[in-house]
Amino acid sequence: MNSSCSRRRWLGWLGSGLGWLAALPAAKAAKSTVKNLLTSSGAPKGYDPTKHQWLMCIDVDRCIGCGLCVDACKIENKVSASPHYFRTWIERYLIRKPKPGQLALRGEVTVDSPNGGRDGFPPTLVPKSEILKAFYVPKLCNLCEHSPCSQACPVGATFDTPDGAVLVDPEYCIGCGFCIQACPYGCRFMNPDTHTAEKCTLCYHRITRGLKPACVEVCPTQTRIFGDLKNMTEKDPVQEFIRNNKVFTLKPNLGTEPRVLYANIDKEVR
Amino acid sequence: MTSPRLPPQLLRLVLLTLAIIGTYSVARVFLTPATFGQFGHYRGAALEEAASRPPVYAGAKACDECHGDTFAQLTKARHRSVSCEACHGPNRPHVKNPDIVPAKLTDRHCVRCHLADAARPAKHRQINLTEHYPNEKCLECHVAHQPNQSK
Ligand code: HEC
Ligand code: HEC
Ligand code: HEC
Ligand code: HEC
Repeated sequence: MNSSCSRRRWLGWLGSGLGWLAALPAAKAAKSTVKNLLTSSGAPKGYDPTKHQWLMCIDVDRCIGCGLCVDACKIENKVSASPHYFRTWIERYLIRKPKPGQLALRGEVTVDSPNGGRDGFPPTLVPKSEILKAFYVPKLCNLCEHSPCSQACPVGATFDTPDGAVLVDPEYCIGCGFCIQACPYGCRFMNPDTHTAEKCTLCYHRITRGLKPACVEVCPTQTRIFGDLKNMTEKDPVQEFIRNNKVFTLKPNLGTEPRVLYANIDKEVR
Repeated sequence: MTSPRLPPQLLRLVLLTLAIIGTYSVARVFLTPATFGQFGHYRGAALEEAASRPPVYAGAKACDECHGDTFAQLTKARHRSVSCEACHGPNRPHVKNPDIVPAKLTDRHCVRCHLADAARPAKHRQINLTEHYPNEKCLECHVAHQPNQSK
């Protein structure tokens, strides 16, 4: 009777358990090599995400509302063409003069964005005499340092990469839409084909190859300035931007700490 | 002699716990993706997958390789901040194979950027289509790559 639970037997069990545990890393390594052999991606070699920190600056005073960025984004990223899906878009703000007798600095504010600005904007029908001021504001993912979307995701499909982009893993995304509700900037949507959340990736396939994001590439007025915090050059456009402008972020009260910086925006812009 | 004895029911319990933990950790190894945790609490390979798509816009640098003269001409003129592909459209196929010629441009693309609108910054050059030589083509008078020169 005593033999069934002798010390020797007991140690034997323990030893084999430890053996299993020791085999785990080996199994893990074997699995990843098999996986690497089976899938060869077209990803650029030699890009280290920990060596970059991307950010975008937007000078609202320069935007002419041509909409080429919206068009380029849709083409580059094969975003659904229908006018509800945008990774970036342009809004036209129109602030009227206050009505006679109205005790206010500014009148009514209207915002329009026909097809996200993709086809350009038709000239506004409001007569010039009624307009106090008007301007265009390009919008995109704000690249939050503390991103509400990745905090809201119940399955960890949205995450902040080491280089500053916020990406969605389509293999993990269950399409619940919480992130779309969580984003205070309205930058996310449900892909109508895959039914997974989609958003600006900062053209991750371009920046890893040393190209600029498509919207920055086609912007004719250098409204959009793209930079790398970890690889600042001398006279870096980002530094010049910060030196020459008063720089703001959208909805700073939310504490999201966006890495998309706006220059010269009015308080009407949200 | 009194050897230290484990009560048999305790031993069974210990073995059962070990078996559960063992199965869990083995299953975990096989169920978590290989690159999970490489950069954080997510699948590291997702970054590579996002990066693996081929670009569509080639970038102005690519045009410079063969159209160096146009590039130099452009950078001297007022359209210097306008990228080739802003006007000519995405042209990676053409870069790979110059026989695939970029589409011809129409006047519409000039108008897109230069049509007068109240929301455009005042320092940007704008025209009123009804006033600025309405029935003629822009390129009859303007040189696209050197807009400050007239023909
Ligand atoms: C590999 C060299 C090469 C590169 C790179 C290249 N091109 Fe070309 N491109 C050519 C050649 C050769 C022609 C002349 C083709 C012809 O006339 O049949 C041409 C012609 C053109 C034309 C005139 C087409 C016409 O209607 O006559 C345009 C516009 C053009 N290229 C734009 C671009 C742009 C924009 C880029 C950058 C995205 C670019 N090219 C990059 C070789 C190149
Ligand atoms: C402002 C818009 C604009 C920009 C920016 C621009 N092009 Fe053009 N390009 C035109 C137009 C308009 C034509 C002539 C119309 C046509 O396509 O038939 C043209 C014609 C050409 C041609 C045909 C031969 C010629 O010189 O007439 C080539 C080649 C060309 N462009 C290359 C380039 C390259 C390379 C760049 C970037 C360095 C560039 N273009 C930037 C508008 C532009
Ligand atoms: C008959 C020749 C002619 C045609 C056609 C023409 N332009 Fe002009 N354009 C001129 C001349 C000359 C000037 C410079 C004098 C001036 O400011 O009017 C000019 C100036 C401009 C300016 C600068 C305006 C400013 O305030 O400095 C723009 C922008 C412009 N043209 C765009 C266009 C566009 C776009 C088209 C096609 C829809 C076009 N032009 C057609 C002759 C022409
Ligand atoms: C992608 C936008 C874009 C397109 C397309 C475009 N331009 Fe321009 N154009 C600009 C910008 C930006 C400037 C720089 C000065 C400014 O902001 O007014 C400019 C300046 C000009 C000027 C003023 C030059 C000067 O001496 O001040 C003329 C004229 C002009 N463009 C004509 C044209 C014509 C003609 C076409 C069509 C072939 C055209 N543009 C297409 C963006 C564009």
